[in-house]
Amino acid sequence: MTLLELTDVTASYGPVQVLDGVSLSVPDGGSVGILGANGAGKTTTLRAISGSVRTGGQIRFDGRDIRGRRPDQVAALGIAHVPEGRGTLGQLSVRENLMVGAYLRKDRKAIAGDLDYCLDLFPQLQDRVVSRAAALSGGEQQMLAVGRAFMAKPKLLLLDEASLGLAPSTAKAVYQAIRRLRLESGIAMLVVEQNANLAFSLVDTATVLETGRNVLTGTSAELKGMDAIRRAYLGG
Amino acid sequence: MNAAAATARRPWVRIVLAAVVAIVLIVAPLALPAFANQTLVRIGVYAVAVLGLNIVMGYTGQVNLGQIFFVGLGAYVTAYGVNHGWNILLVFVAACAIAGVVGLLVALAAARLGGLAIAMVTIALPIVGVPLAKRLSEFTGGSQGISARFTDAPDWSGLANDQWQFYIVLVVTAGAFLLARSLVRGKYGRAFAAVRENEAVAASMGISPYRTKVLAFTIASIFGGASGFLYLAAVQYTSPETLSFGHSISLLAAMVIGGAGSIAGSLLGGAYYVFVPQLTNAIDPNLTTVSQGAILLAVLFLLPGGLVSIPRVVRRLVRRTGTRGSATTRGSTAGPAADTTQQTAPAHHPVPDAAPEGHEQTERQDGP
Amino acid sequence: MGTFIQLVVDGLATGSIYAALALAIVLVNQATGLINFAQGGMAVLSAYIAYVFVQLGLPLILAILISIVFSFLFGALVERFLIRRFERGDPDTAVVVTIGLLTLVTGISAVLWGYNNLGFPSLFPLTSVEILGAVVSVRSLATAVTIVVIMVVLQLLFLRTKLGLALRAVADNPASAAFSGLPVGRLLMVGWGLAATLGAIAGVLVAPQLTLTPGMLDTALVYALAAVILGGLTSPIGCVVAASAIGVLENLVAVYIPLIGHDLKIAVPFALIFVILIVRPQGLFGRKVVVRV
Repeated sequence: MTLLELTDVTASYGPVQVLDGVSLSVPDGGSVGILGANGAGKTTTLRAISGSVRTGGQIRFDGRDIRGRRPDQVAALGIAHVPEGRGTLGQLSVRENLMVGAYLRKDRKAIAGDLDYCLDLFPQLQDRVVSRAAALSGGEQQMLAVGRAFMAKPKLLLLDEASLGLAPSTAKAVYQAIRRLRLESGIAMLVVEQNANLAFSLVDTATVLETGRNVLTGTSAELKGMDAIRRAYLGG
Repeated sequence: MNAAAATARRPWVRIVLAAVVAIVLIVAPLALPAFANQTLVRIGVYAVAVLGLNIVMGYTGQVNLGQIFFVGLGAYVTAYGVNHGWNILLVFVAACAIAGVVGLLVALAAARLGGLAIAMVTIALPIVGVPLAKRLSEFTGGSQGISARFTDAPDWSGLANDQWQFYIVLVVTAGAFLLARSLVRGKYGRAFAAVRENEAVAASMGISPYRTKVLAFTIASIFGGASGFLYLAAVQYTSPETLSFGHSISLLAAMVIGGAGSIAGSLLGGAYYVFVPQLTNAIDPNLTTVSQGAILLAVLFLLPGGLVSIPRVVRRLVRRTGTRGSATTRGSTAGPAADTTQQTAPAHHPVPDAAPEGHEQTERQDGP
Repeated sequence: MGTFIQLVVDGLATGSIYAALALAIVLVNQATGLINFAQGGMAVLSAYIAYVFVQLGLPLILAILISIVFSFLFGALVERFLIRRFERGDPDTAVVVTIGLLTLVTGISAVLWGYNNLGFPSLFPLTSVEILGAVVSVRSLATAVTIVVIMVVLQLLFLRTKLGLALRAVADNPASAAFSGLPVGRLLMVGWGLAATLGAIAGVLVAPQLTLTPGMLDTALVYALAAVILGGLTSPIGCVVAASAIGVLENLVAVYIPLIGHDLKIAVPFALIFVILIVRPQGLFGRKVVVRV
């Protein structure tokens, strides 16, 4: 079952065209990566899905056309976007950030249970539960952002450059936690990542973007094996 | 359309145009009836005030709600000087200088705050100014106000009073406008624009936002003082009512409606200030405030560049509807008159992650 | 001593009015990043609405409730249709829009009810009570207490309810809040509605004393802005403290320093601001603002 399907999606910021026909699909419970250099349009692809930018083409989620919906409407459909830069609600506490994630839910008991699960998944947050989120380190904020997205119990998680600005060991820890999340919850994921190694540790298939278009698509194993990928993104 | 624009760009055309305008201005008062001259005089008075406001608000982006205070201050200083027999030139300089010094002091304090603090502080100027004017009655004549006549035409000129006043106002207004124009086109103008656009970026370019704001505000108050001098020249009377809060808002509205960030727009603003409230008062005084508010909002929504931007807006509309399929879409019609039709649409900031005030962003990075 | 206590209590009462307006201004600023110069004018219009219903014979408390509902809707609609367009742009342009709104609202009040001072009934009895040997106005006490209670209720709303959490999230980072499904537009309308309600309550409580006229809260707005500058835009508590201090101070100065007297007492908060801000630009309580480029 295809959960998310993008067909020939275009997007522009004013007169500047950033996406020039991107296509990809995410199966139910699957995990897909979007790779590419800076400016290739990776973040814009996610923003196109979550409704933050004007788009053309087709975007279908759960069989429904979701193009043109506002971000909060897209969230209500079951897509949780962890934005580039994390989008931390700085003035709110860690706990409040997580509770905001559960805004659309009504099942209070389950929400409480999920909150505990989050803190278990990201133990560093446990000690900082009442701290103002802006005081957290970059890695902690990233974990908080993922946790907040999880609290919505989404069907699909959009992860934008989760390793950005993090020390390698921290980024690794974050991805480990996300991997565990994926295994234990079965949430589908669409992962934008510049660090291809990290991406391949999390996704089954991936597509590579260049100047707003797909140039390569394949399974992680296939892509890892290609010379072009290795040279461009894996430093080999 | 192209030919006309090209013609307008040739330097000799502009010189001829300027000469024609100058001749018209010099000859006009001799031909026009007294009432027309007086109206033009009042337009000049307020145009200078609006021009000052434009420098600090339209160009540098600092909302100033107290410009009328400096106009009143200038008027009071003028009245005082005239009634004490000072040389008229000294009076003019005093009006500008005192207003400037007060403006400088206010700016030194207010500009330290970020964002809208200048607005919040300057709102106090007219509100404190009115009771202050009433209180300092030895200087100001208290609530009664103070009159001073000094613009009666001297016998040697053979002119009528209204014509003489016209020339005085013309000289000062023309001087103010030329001064403003050269300011705005030079490096200060660039500093103003940079600070208006983004203070942090301006600072990184070596422009001190604080100093620029103080400078702009001081200049605005100097212009205000000059406007006060002209006010007294024209009206020959001033009172605490002159610097009331209501007038302050009217001045601001006039600036926006005329055209924020535009030299020519200040002239239109002055004209608006003189004509429109007069008109609405004639229909129904209670209507004046409502119509002012409605017009201001309408302009902000529909014509943010003010009246002065109408030609540009019309050209754009015509281009869009008229030249479909036609090949003559080349040539932006903004020609050399660009400085006077400077658009000041609200600067659009990208994705609103950072709130303009009130949030401390600190992100500690993990160590290796 | 008796006079002193009287002045302090009266000062706290007027200070609470300034505090209500100041809080409304802070609330709007935190949610939408701009200063609403029409906050006072909108409050006055709401007070006029209450007046209309009082004139129609309704009991005062009912008229006030209607006015509160009106002000909430009014605030919400203003945000949606007037302010929304300018929220993401230059805050200075947005300020000019609010000034246009102030003019329009004042004008509407003037057209409908004229510039005459209209009498407005007092919600609280006009009696006095003795405290520590001073004769204190019940109305002043009750006004101050009422507004404090309302502010506490608001704080509880913001800190303990889901709606409050949502409002704070939207104020913090609207784009990010939307990703969690928060209806940003609707929440902004609620924020403005609440701010307008605060203003309306201040308006109906102070109208009996000041008498109803279109410019009734112009001066109060100026004091409220002074309180916001002193207290810092990021600190509601700071604003309340500053507003109370201003209210008390202006009363004391007017009586004990005849040189300044009643007409010039408005200069006092600004002289204070002048001095304090040279030393501490972020206000007494605010945090230093770091703006990302």
